[in-house]
Order: sequence, then structure tokens, then C-alpha cells
Amino acid sequence: MLNRTIEPALKEIDHIDFVAPKKYAVSGRTDLYHMKEVPNETSRFELYFDAGKAKGIDSIAGFVNGLLLSGTPDKNSIEINSQINALGGFLESGISVENATISMYCLKENLIPILTIVLDAIQNVAFIEKEVNEFLADRKVGHNVSLEKVGFLAQREFQERLFASNEIYSKALKPSDFETVSIEKLKEFHSENYLNGLEKVVIVGDLDESEIHSIIDATKPFANSKELSFAKDLSNERGSFAISKEGALQCAVRIGRILFNKNHEDYLDFLILNTIFGDYFGSRLMSNIREDKGYTYGIGTMVAELNHTGYFMIATEVGKDVLEPTLKEVKYELNRLQTELIGEDELQLVRNYMLGQLLKSADGPYAMTDLFLSVEVHGKDLEFYNLALSKIQNITAERIQELANKYLNWEDMSVVTAG
Amino acid sequence: MIKFERFQLENGLRVLFHKDETTPMAVVNTLYDVGARDESEDKTGFAHLFEHLMFGGSINIPEFDTPLQMAGGENNAFTSNDITNYYNVLPVNNIETALWLESDRMLSLAFTPKSLEVQRSVVIEEFKQRYLNQPYGDVWLQLRPLAYKEHPYKWATIGKELEPIENATMEDVKAFFKKHYNPSNAILCVAGNLELENVKELVEKWYGSIPAGTKYERNLPKEPVQTELRELTIERNVPSNAFYYAFKMPDRLHPDFFTIDLLSDALGRDKSARLYVTLKKEQQLVADISAYILGSLDEGLLVISGKLNEGISFKQFDDALWALIDELSANKLSDSELDRIMIKFRTAKEFQEQGLLHRAMNLCNYELLGDPDGVNSESEKYHQITTDDILRCAKNILTKPNCSILNIKADKNAK
Repeated sequence: MLNRTIEPALKEIDHIDFVAPKKYAVSGRTDLYHMKEVPNETSRFELYFDAGKAKGIDSIAGFVNGLLLSGTPDKNSIEINSQINALGGFLESGISVENATISMYCLKENLIPILTIVLDAIQNVAFIEKEVNEFLADRKVGHNVSLEKVGFLAQREFQERLFASNEIYSKALKPSDFETVSIEKLKEFHSENYLNGLEKVVIVGDLDESEIHSIIDATKPFANSKELSFAKDLSNERGSFAISKEGALQCAVRIGRILFNKNHEDYLDFLILNTIFGDYFGSRLMSNIREDKGYTYGIGTMVAELNHTGYFMIATEVGKDVLEPTLKEVKYELNRLQTELIGEDELQLVRNYMLGQLLKSADGPYAMTDLFLSVEVHGKDLEFYNLALSKIQNITAERIQELANKYLNWEDMSVVTAG
Repeated sequence: MIKFERFQLENGLRVLFHKDETTPMAVVNTLYDVGARDESEDKTGFAHLFEHLMFGGSINIPEFDTPLQMAGGENNAFTSNDITNYYNVLPVNNIETALWLESDRMLSLAFTPKSLEVQRSVVIEEFKQRYLNQPYGDVWLQLRPLAYKEHPYKWATIGKELEPIENATMEDVKAFFKKHYNPSNAILCVAGNLELENVKELVEKWYGSIPAGTKYERNLPKEPVQTELRELTIERNVPSNAFYYAFKMPDRLHPDFFTIDLLSDALGRDKSARLYVTLKKEQQLVADISAYILGSLDEGLLVISGKLNEGISFKQFDDALWALIDELSANKLSDSELDRIMIKFRTAKEFQEQGLLHRAMNLCNYELLGDPDGVNSESEKYHQITTDDILRCAKNILTKPNCSILNIKADKNAK
């Protein structure tokens, strides 16, 4: 008779294959990375520009990024889009504080034709008045919807408090940005940050060497000629900040502080602490605040990275009536990490879980490329993940407690609530 | 081509195995043939609440998540109007842990009062977070009962309102489990770098002794044929006026299902589609607009939705939309338009099928429809669709008597 109370034996993960994309020089400091090992017809290209939000004021960087395919003297936006769509391309553009990206997903046979269209559109974008006005009107509609969401309000306030020491990093989109923007300002930003702002090209797909060289030739004119410059010593504004939103049923909460990135010696061990605290379903915060109290649909923590620094954040949305009890429980869990050693069962659970997730994040050419890029940006190579494996295997309860005391003090946090 | 093997246990459990040698991860996906459409009208939201309870411990295992995380895996689940689907992704070496866990909760839950109390609150918070505390969040709570009068698609998976969730009892929970959660009502897919013999042995070991239970016979009220245009305008404190046009379309197994999917692409998949080019770029009536199908198993909906530009009335937009529809129902798409739609279809499919989890779910979905090999013949069916087929479907589907319109009027003083 089968004994269902006895769980099957587990096998440990002791080794993961990490595969780096091949590196080519485009020009100066600009490189191209190519992951060729794709067993199907899919492909992706990504263009990284040194054109993040911090490169300009009054939201100009976001506007230019959104207008890159809005038309040239020869082609309007409908024509550009229909050429890309006729080749089956799926476009994504993105912008963060420190860079801007254009990504395209397509079949490999269409990658170079689509790239040619995209590069021409970026090179010759004319910022046609009609297109600009339509774009700004749409953004405004989207922004007005966002303003109705407590999660958005809390996140915006959090960013301002988190980056409080740096005026340009802390600034969010404001209504007057839609009025002060002009065609001249858009053109100026574009010419300064896109025409000579290409930092990196990433290709995933089974393309051959000659195709890669033609991509290098096509992207070379955009290569970045300037030194990169990002904020170094950011510090957050400590304290509690409450945004009021009439009629809201829930309250959004963001709690966090400036921390560090992969270049800091405590980064990898802190990532383990982060997982224990709030980064998986069985975490301390989820177990307490969702699975024991039922205050929320979800609560989580994260470590985010910037070029020279990083930050830690707790995020949740809870019923308005249980905001105070939730904050009390978060403090309780912080305090527990600082004063009690984590038990060996829980620590082993987190070790195994993290190793499984690392295995998964290296699975397949797209995931592997992203894993590589997240160390490359900090000047590291894939050896970093072997170090991560050994850090996860060797972490101790004492070390977790030490890091909790060093980095997770309530007084150091910016605490934002909106609702 | 997605290769698979199929076998069935004596208790009725249908099992699919898909081998993939290229990945160190494995997937265990379980589809239960029960969704919100199987709820009684006074207990809506129950299928979804039950999905939450499936994580609250089973008869022999106090917690579902912990052992799976210990095995390096993660899991989640979703409930739709048609099905409830649970999946685990974990290192292939530890596949047996997932089968042990999933089989035990198919055998029986622990039914602890604490689990019911906590998940009741979690689901109420989910209801607030996703449906009540978001601008436009209650659209589907309004649109479903407009489009459906009899069929249980008239309520959303979260439920009609909070009350039935607040009042759910342990007897309700146990009765729901007995009715829907048994091997004859489930489909299992195991995917990863494994051997068939090994998979058979493990599945037999953990699932073989689960009692078959009684096969649930679905007998849903049939939706009467819609014969006239339905319109509802509601006022909400939202920033822009929004519109939702829902057209009835045939069920998932109807030969026109894929054709109508392409019709929705022609209308509103991307920035080259008819709605965007004509109503947004040329006529400047809308801030955004798109079209899509819900993909329901029973009679479904093709939906056109978006937001009006400031200063544009619902009437102006309505006239322009019907003019566009008249054109689409009078003249065939050009060949180049169909080519564009098909290359996007092919590209999207290539990307989706890279994912092991996607393949496993899709095999279960097609098994539910009666033939798992449908995953492989689907593309061919799409490629055979002609511009004549699309024109015929446009004429049949995109008509006023077949349409339900929900307008949301922005009003600062509304609730």
C-alpha cells in the first residue's frame, strides 16, 4: 500500500550550464552580443540607447522614445508600422531612468529587413506636428487613467522619496510636461541621445556570421561616442509619506531604501535574505500577511539595480481597514529576521527553491541571454552565477541575521502609502 | 510539430506525455473540466474560490507549496469561465514531487476551516484589487449580463458580487470537490526530458489508486439567439469615455472559430489593423482601440473596445464604427492584408510554442476538445482560411442584432 505521507527523494542541483552570447565590437565602446543557439525560427533584436529618463527634464526622454517610429520625411507612422507588420514584427519600446530600448520579436528570416526599417525610422524621425500632438494626447489619456490607480500613485511617490537626493532621478511625469514640450526640444534630445547614443546591440536567433556583420555595419553610425554618466551616491528620504485618494477601497504600500547592485560584496547573500523575506510564495511576508491574515491578494519584495547603485522595495495593496495591521506585521517580520536565527528547514527550502529558479532562468536562449546581460552591464561575466550557486549552497543563518541587521532597519526606509 | 504520447488510467484519468530533451525543467499541468460556467447562479465565484483552497493542504500533505519549493519548483493556477488549470514547473530530476503533490490533492483536500477563512479574505481582496478598485475594473461585471441572458457566461469568474464568497460554507466546498475534482474529470500532462515508460510508472503509482468518482455531466442552459441590439450606458468616475462592443460568435469547435479569430485580427490586432488606421489615425475619434475574441468553449464573444478622444460623442464614434463594419462586410480583405495577418499569426505561434508550459497547457486544452493532435493541425486550418471565408463571417457576426454595447461615461460625480 502506497504511503502518501512520505515524499519522494529529492535530487540536488549542483551544476548549471551557462552559455554566453558571442561578442563583436561595433565601434568604440559599443558592442554587439549574438546568441546563435536557437533551435527554431524565432529571433529578437534589441537596441540599447543611452537615452534614459535622467538624460533630460520634463519627461522629454519618454516622449522621444515613444515617438521614434512616428514618421520620417518619406514615410508616415502608418506606413512604417505596416511595413513592420507585413514582416510579422512585434515591437516593444521601453524606458528606465538610465536607458532606453527598442526590442523587436520576429522570424529570423525577417530580422534584417525589419531592422533596416527601424534604423531608418530612428535615424530620420521628423517629429511631424500632427503625430506629436496625437501622441501627447494619447499619453495624457493613459496618464489620467494611471492617476486613478493607487498602485501608480504610491509607486510615483516612492520613486520621488527613493531618489530624493538627485533631482533628475526623482522627477516623475507631471501635467505641465505636456504643455512645455516642443518640437525643437524633441529634435534636440533625439539628436543628442539617439543619433550617437547606441550603447549595445543584442541579437538572439540562428543568424549566420555574414548577417551579423551586416547588422554591425548598419548600426555603426549610431554608436555612442560619449562617456556614460550615471548617478553614484543616491540616498532615500526616510520617513512616512501618505497620499490620499478619495473613494479607494484599497491602500497601496511601497517601502524601501537605496541599496546596492551586483558589484557590492553583500549583493548575493542579500538576495537570499530578500527571497526569505518576500520574494517567493512561501516567504515570511506572504505566509504572514496573505496566508495567515488574509489582508492582501499579494505582497512581495525585490532588489532592483541601477548602473552604480540599486534599491530594495516591499510592495503590496491591502484593504483600507487593514493598512495599520499590515505595517505592524511588516515591522514584526523585519524584527524577527534581525533577532531570531532562521531555522535550518526554512533555509534549506530557500536554498533549493533559489537553485531551481536559477536553473530555470538559464533555460533556453532568450532567458540565458537576459541572464548574461544582467551581469554584463556591471562588468561581470557568467562566473558570477557559479559564485551565486556556491553562495546559495553555503549561506548560514548567522549571515542572514547579520545582513538583516545591517540593511533592513525600519528607520532607514521610505514608507509610502496611497489610498 | 509537438510530439506526444497519450494513455488513460483505469480510473479515467487522461494523461499526455510530451518529451523535450533540450530543457532541464519539467512541467506537470492538470486541467480540471470545471469553470465558472458550472456554478449555480446563487453561488457564483465558487470555482475560483475553490482554486485558492486547492493550495490549503491535502489529505496526506499539510501544505502544497513548501515541498514543491523544496524541490526547486514553483506553481500557480488560474480559473476561467470554462476550466480550472494548475501547473508546476520544476527541475526534471524532481518530477516525482509534483506528481506526489498533485495526486494527493486530487485524492482529497484537508478541508481545514482556517484555509477557508483565509482564502475567503484573500479572494475578497482580489475582487477589490482587480475589479472594484481599478478604473474600468467592473466592465466585465456589467458586460457579461448584457451579452448573456441565460448561459452562465453571464457572470465573471470572480463572481457576480462579494456575497456568495462571504457566505461560502465548508459543506459547499466539500460538495464542489466531490462533484468536479476526480480523475474522470481531469487531464494531466507531463512534459520534459523523460521516458514514456518512466512517466507511465510514476503516474500509475501516484494516481492509479484514486477512486474514479462520478463523471460530471454538464447540462447548461442554452443561450437564446440574440435578435436585437442591446445597449447600456453607465456612469463612472473615470478619466475618459470608453466603449465595448460585444458580438456573439460560435463555440470553440465550430468550423468558423479560427476564421473569426482572423477577422478580429483584421479589425484590431495592431497598428496596421482597420480600426486603428481608420478610426484613430484617419478620423481621430479614439485614443485607443482594439479587437479580440474571448476564446470561450461555448458560444463566445468578439469584442471591440477602446476609449474616445476628448470632445467626441458616443454617437459620432458609433456611426463611424458601423460604417467601417459595413465596408468590411461588403468587400473582401486584400490578399496583402491577409498575408500580413498570417505572418503575424505564424510569428506569434513560433514564440508561444517555444515555452514548455505553453505546449503542456495546449495539449490539455486539445484533449479536452476531444483530440490532442489538434495542437498540430491548428496551423494548417488557419492557413486554409480565405478572404471569402472572412467576408462571410464578417457578414454573419458583425451585425447590430448580434451586438451588445456597453458605454462607460466619464462622470466626476459618479461612484
